[in-house]
Amino acid sequence: MGIIDKKILEYLAELGRIELAESEKSKLLKDLQEILNHFQELEKLETSNIEPMSGGTSQQNIFRADEAKEEKNEKLIESFPEKENSFLKIPPVFE
Amino acid sequence: MQNDNVKLKNLTIKKFHQGLLNKEFSATEITESFFDSIEEKDNPSANSKQGIGAYLRLTKNLALSQAKEVDIAITQGKNLGILAGVPLAIKDNILIEGQPATAASKNLENYQAAYDATVIKKLKSVGAVILGKTNLDEFAMGSSTENSAFQITRNPNDLERVPGGSSGGSAAAVAADMAIAALGSDTGGSIRQPANFCGVVGLKPTYGAVSRYGLIAMASSLDQIGPIAKTVEDTEILFNAIRGKDPMDSTSVESNPKSKIQNKFQIPNSIIGLPEEYFIEGLVEETSKAINGVIENLKNQGFKFKKISLPHTKYALSSYYIIMPAEASANLARYDGIRYAQLKNLKTERLKDIYFKQRSQGFGTEVKRRIILGTFVLSSGYYDSYYLKAQKVRRLIKDDFDKAFKEVDVILTPVSSTPAFKIGEKTDNPLKMYLSDIFTIPVNLAGLPAISIPVKKYQVSSIKYQGELPIGFQLIGKPFQETDILEIGKSYEKSYNS
Repeated sequence: MGIIDKKILEYLAELGRIELAESEKSKLLKDLQEILNHFQELEKLETSNIEPMSGGTSQQNIFRADEAKEEKNEKLIESFPEKENSFLKIPPVFE
Repeated sequence: MQNDNVKLKNLTIKKFHQGLLNKEFSATEITESFFDSIEEKDNPSANSKQGIGAYLRLTKNLALSQAKEVDIAITQGKNLGILAGVPLAIKDNILIEGQPATAASKNLENYQAAYDATVIKKLKSVGAVILGKTNLDEFAMGSSTENSAFQITRNPNDLERVPGGSSGGSAAAVAADMAIAALGSDTGGSIRQPANFCGVVGLKPTYGAVSRYGLIAMASSLDQIGPIAKTVEDTEILFNAIRGKDPMDSTSVESNPKSKIQNKFQIPNSIIGLPEEYFIEGLVEETSKAINGVIENLKNQGFKFKKISLPHTKYALSSYYIIMPAEASANLARYDGIRYAQLKNLKTERLKDIYFKQRSQGFGTEVKRRIILGTFVLSSGYYDSYYLKAQKVRRLIKDDFDKAFKEVDVILTPVSSTPAFKIGEKTDNPLKMYLSDIFTIPVNLAGLPAISIPVKKYQVSSIKYQGELPIGFQLIGKPFQETDILEIGKSYEKSYNS
């Protein structure tokens, strides 16, 4: 199980779209390493034949009829920070 | 003012309902009394003493119009449901249409809910009154309400201590007579632990018993909305009003099984299990004594006890703190600074830059920590040893409970090893903070119902915990058997009222 170093931390921050200040990084690394060390106890458990549990209590899929519903979305459009007609306006996506 | 305090002090849902019907007071009067109480106790500036800080925001116009409707219905002789006019506090991660919902985060500072949560729709339809939105740990991540981006909340029993978390605001509001009851949410103990620290009752329903539609999602396989109230009976009333299958939440389930456990004079071999892994050395003396008192009380009522084992208990913390941040990192990906928020004149060259800037400025330290942790355990190369492993351990923990429930009907444990700790005591060390949830977390992993009930007439008087601090006990039930734990809880309460 893992050691987390500065490079990994920066990669994770990139994935999570979070900008970490230099001052934040060392405390965060220390905290995360302590937490990961605690997780090592799980290695003691034999789980090769155990079915992972992914959900809550009721693990049955539920379906509804494939029918479109008419939905009003004025409130959502109103809350766009910038818009043009009913479209959300954002800075360019491409570099 | 003094009269008001006396009037509000022992006001339960039932008493309020009787008072309304007997025309002792109007819904508007009581609502106004609660707002007076809030102004007196909640605001730091109101008096020279420190305010409790339970509420982030009051919804006075909404509340008074709701109360007025109830009063009109009374004069028209209409039939009133038991929750009509009852003033409630709502945790600020539950959506009320047209009202801000911040999840105590700067990222949602300006977000106005576009719809009602299903639980709110249900409460509005029975005439309940909504007083305001309560404080929480940011995005429900925390065990003390100290992670709120806006304010701390103080424990009404000792203002130097935390109310618990993440539903600290809701629990404090009820404990301080600033609402008759409240809604909170529980992912790893966030209803039960603050209820325990504040001396009120808190129920986490079975996963799926209450719709999560309109609850700002943290960990979707663990989250549940639940009631916080002064008595078990009130908790049951509020639970029945919000439960039910909801087409908007595909994990919700309809259920209404009858309880096997009857009252004192008809207890048919109900067995309460005591898991040895929960009665460990870490329990402080005060907690042990309190729990032993509860066991004695229940024995005297005719309940039988059996020692059981839940062997994988100690691994629950690790399993939880892998699964929950993983799910939270996915659920919080939507907070990109554009949805739900107003951009603060950010001139950036690329869209991506908005994400980095807004998220970093908008999220607090604990939230960032959990997003990074969640991202780590899900990332390629680590997924199998962490996330998959944690899901297998989750299965083992659930199996432990399933086996135990073949021998017993209900399980009794402490809620936390100590009473409320001091503000600032654990903020430096996240792992220490996480450890305060060891007794509540396994329940969420297994999806079971559980309730925290204050131990009656118990005075914690030692040098460390001066004065009277509440301590609670936890009852864990079989899936969808909330009635079992509610019946035992009511039985326990009755024994102190007779």
